[in-house]
Amino acid sequence: MTGLVVRRLLQLPIILGVIYTLTLVLAWRIPGNPLENPDGRRPQPEVVAAMQRQYNLDSFWSFYWSYLDSASGVRYLRDKVTGRAAEQDNAALAAGRAPPTRSIFDLGPSLQYRDQRVNDIIAGGLPVSMTLGAAAIFIALILGVLAGVIGAVRPNSTADLSTLGIALVGISLPTFVIGAALLLIFPVLLGWGRIPSWGRPVDLLLPAFTLSLPFAAYIARLTRMGMIEQLHADYIRTARAKGVSETGILFRHALKNAFLPVLSYLGPAAAFAMTGSFVVERVFVVPGIGQHFVNAVQNKDLFLIIAIVLIYATMLIVFNLIVDVLYRWIDPRIV
Amino acid sequence: MLRLFLPLLLLVALICLALVADRPQPRADFTFINRTDINTLDPQQMSWQQDFRIAKAIYQGLVTSDVFSHDYKAVPAVADRWEISRDLKTYTFHLRKTGWSDGSPVLAGDFAYAWMRALLPDFGADYLGFVEHIRGGREFYQWRQDRLAEFAAHTGAGNDKPDTAGAARLWALTREKFRELVGVSTPDDRTIIVELARPTPYFLDMVAFATFFPLCERVVHQYEVLDPLTGRVSWDQGWTKPPRLVCNGPFYVESWQFKRDVRLRRNPYYWDKDALAIDTISIPTVEDPVSSVLAFRTGAVDWVTDVLAPFRAEMVAQKAAFYREHQSEVDAMRAQGLDPIEIDRRLPPDPRKNVHVFPGFGTCFWNFNCSPKLPDGRANPLADARVRRALAMSVDKRAIADGIRRVGEPVTGSLIPPNSLPSYTPPAGLAHDTEQARKLMAEAGYPGGKDFITIDLLVAKDGGNELIAQSIAKDWQRELGISTTITVQETKVFRERLKNKNYMTARALWSGDYGDPTSFLEICRSGDGNNDRNYSSPRFDALLDAACNETDPAKRMAMLEQAERLLVEEDLPMIPLFCFANMYLFDANKFTGISSHPRGEQLLYQIDLLGDGKGSDLPRVLPPRPQVDGGGS
Repeated sequence: MTGLVVRRLLQLPIILGVIYTLTLVLAWRIPGNPLENPDGRRPQPEVVAAMQRQYNLDSFWSFYWSYLDSASGVRYLRDKVTGRAAEQDNAALAAGRAPPTRSIFDLGPSLQYRDQRVNDIIAGGLPVSMTLGAAAIFIALILGVLAGVIGAVRPNSTADLSTLGIALVGISLPTFVIGAALLLIFPVLLGWGRIPSWGRPVDLLLPAFTLSLPFAAYIARLTRMGMIEQLHADYIRTARAKGVSETGILFRHALKNAFLPVLSYLGPAAAFAMTGSFVVERVFVVPGIGQHFVNAVQNKDLFLIIAIVLIYATMLIVFNLIVDVLYRWIDPRIV
Repeated sequence: MLRLFLPLLLLVALICLALVADRPQPRADFTFINRTDINTLDPQQMSWQQDFRIAKAIYQGLVTSDVFSHDYKAVPAVADRWEISRDLKTYTFHLRKTGWSDGSPVLAGDFAYAWMRALLPDFGADYLGFVEHIRGGREFYQWRQDRLAEFAAHTGAGNDKPDTAGAARLWALTREKFRELVGVSTPDDRTIIVELARPTPYFLDMVAFATFFPLCERVVHQYEVLDPLTGRVSWDQGWTKPPRLVCNGPFYVESWQFKRDVRLRRNPYYWDKDALAIDTISIPTVEDPVSSVLAFRTGAVDWVTDVLAPFRAEMVAQKAAFYREHQSEVDAMRAQGLDPIEIDRRLPPDPRKNVHVFPGFGTCFWNFNCSPKLPDGRANPLADARVRRALAMSVDKRAIADGIRRVGEPVTGSLIPPNSLPSYTPPAGLAHDTEQARKLMAEAGYPGGKDFITIDLLVAKDGGNELIAQSIAKDWQRELGISTTITVQETKVFRERLKNKNYMTARALWSGDYGDPTSFLEICRSGDGNNDRNYSSPRFDALLDAACNETDPAKRMAMLEQAERLLVEEDLPMIPLFCFANMYLFDANKFTGISSHPRGEQLLYQIDLLGDGKGSDLPRVLPPRPQVDGGGS
């Protein structure tokens, strides 16, 4: 087990390096100039040239290496070791200035939001998206597993068909339709809940529910399939013969095995949910990072695009690792 | 089974923990929605409307504009009085006693420091051109530019010889050079003398603009970062974030959670703090246009600054229906010349009346590429002014304003919105005359569109501009027999193509920055950075130059009017389509302080919740217009 964790963690930087390269190549090719404002005034040409130099936007390779240098933490370390950081700090202090802010992994400035560093944007939005995503996965698990079990007990019964039907709706209805409908019903017509508001447990309910629906639907179908298969297995017949109660059979024996496919789905699902959803966060005014997936690309905000992609990749790898660990823990036969 | 539930329990614990750590703040006295988060709180870097709006609340310039007067009169702010020399080139401002939000006094040097920043080539202020009105501004910029080039040459192109001490020396020298070259002097801490390069009648209007706002030198100076490789100075990005940011305006920034909420609180050291009727302002970011309307409906928000919901035309129609129900009262109040907001205030309460459309200080128009050659190298028939006039005369602007936009925006034949500037009446422009248009086309050698090229209409992807393009294309096809194509591009690509003149015709929008016709007309000057049309007319440039040096205001306005007439009646580098409207959502009975003036500027410190016992609780209104030409919705 430890070997697995160590091996995966060692692979992480290599995978991220490859993803960084691919992302930058693609993002660099997005047409348009990141320093142009839509409908804004045009800065004078020398101003644009100065900004391009400042952000290393004039050459692909100088951008590639300087970003890799600062984002990987190498620059931070080098500055510390060579004493350049201390020298700069002292020079600043001597001139009556504050020493510059330094982060170990410096993801750069945002080209669109000039007061923001990408580190700050991520630090502000990621916890919000993760909370919302975790809540959504939680709701999806409860809804999905329950619906799946109900369906599997009596396949093709009315209960089964209706849960399947609801699951189909959950998968196919776009979240912005469900979201807008929920907003209209609860805060506007009934006066329950507020928008914009974030930070109270109640604020989590509507967006988390909306976000959970597609996941719940998928989990329900996985559970149903798994349960139907398990309920026909020999060991269930043995358990029935032994006189184990029907609930015991369902939840203690069958579900435990039927849950494994759900668990493997949970890895990518959690990564997906926790990095934020553009639509759900936009409709419910949740201050997460989901919006940047789309906006950063539209703004050609290079630093933000790369940071968002790297975070998604990291989450995907880490959650898959967690799932693998859980897998072995729940089912010790798997080595 | 426990093994299955343990991870779930962990998940729940995690969610609870995250929520406990992230409590919402209590409701502010006044809440309004920004369409998107502010880009920057650095006044010299701003170029977005939502940024300017906050800037006017947290900073204060030497003077400010009275948004409840038709001529946007300059009124005392940090300067309590000023003198203007007879040649209109020297302004002497006397500062009153007022404080930064950290308690320190606002000094004349704080203004000089901020203006110097705006003039630095390494800084890249969008409104550099404003500060260059000051004598020596251009020279200072050039001087610094040259020194930076020298510095970079000396540290090596390979960037291997950092020179920390040299960068510091250059910076000290730059500050000295600013005092020497630029016409800004501060004989004492409470006096600023500004010398202009040439008489600029609208200079006070510019001084009320964010680029001219002061910065607390004592504090901001600490965040200067000197690059030992290039010698350039930059400011550590963190300086605009509370609690580091100090403000001299009526409010200071208490917290700024990016893309979430900006909170302003009353500045206890502001000179006129007792005039404020609210203590706190909350500005959440709601990007979804439907959600922002819903948030207003729930009562959580007092003012939505941009109503962009897909059903906004229906909201306007409902308000019109409401007005029809009270037709006689509305007519009587309009006859008195009452402020449209005051009319709404006096009508019986009804949610339909909460939507407000005011003509704004912007014009939507259609650009022609006037270059002699098209991007693909062919000769450009659009370089012929007769063709442009014909194309302009055949466009049915009413169909666009009433059929597509549907929010009651007035169509316009001029570039400058009528009624927005008190001493200036823009020319009428060309009328919709398809007969004359066909004649002009025949005259130019394309009778019935024969031998004419296929015209491409370029639009950006968002904002429903494609429909406008279709409407124009239809007019050109039907009236002039011209074939057309429409190209839709991402906004950034669209802007880039306009800049490189890589288009034939394109949608455009311009809004004025200061109260003078030149704020619009300068974009058509030959070689101007915003001249996307590549329009170049020596006659037009000469008129602008002559107006620049004219000191008699009436003569000057006549020259500018003549220049605009040349644009919109003869040369037509663009087709003015309609005046852009500001669309707000607020309950006029709940608070006052929003101005219906076409310049569209709102001062947050004038907000007063009606009937709360704080402030005067009297509605602020725009007085009736002196002459009889109605505006408003």
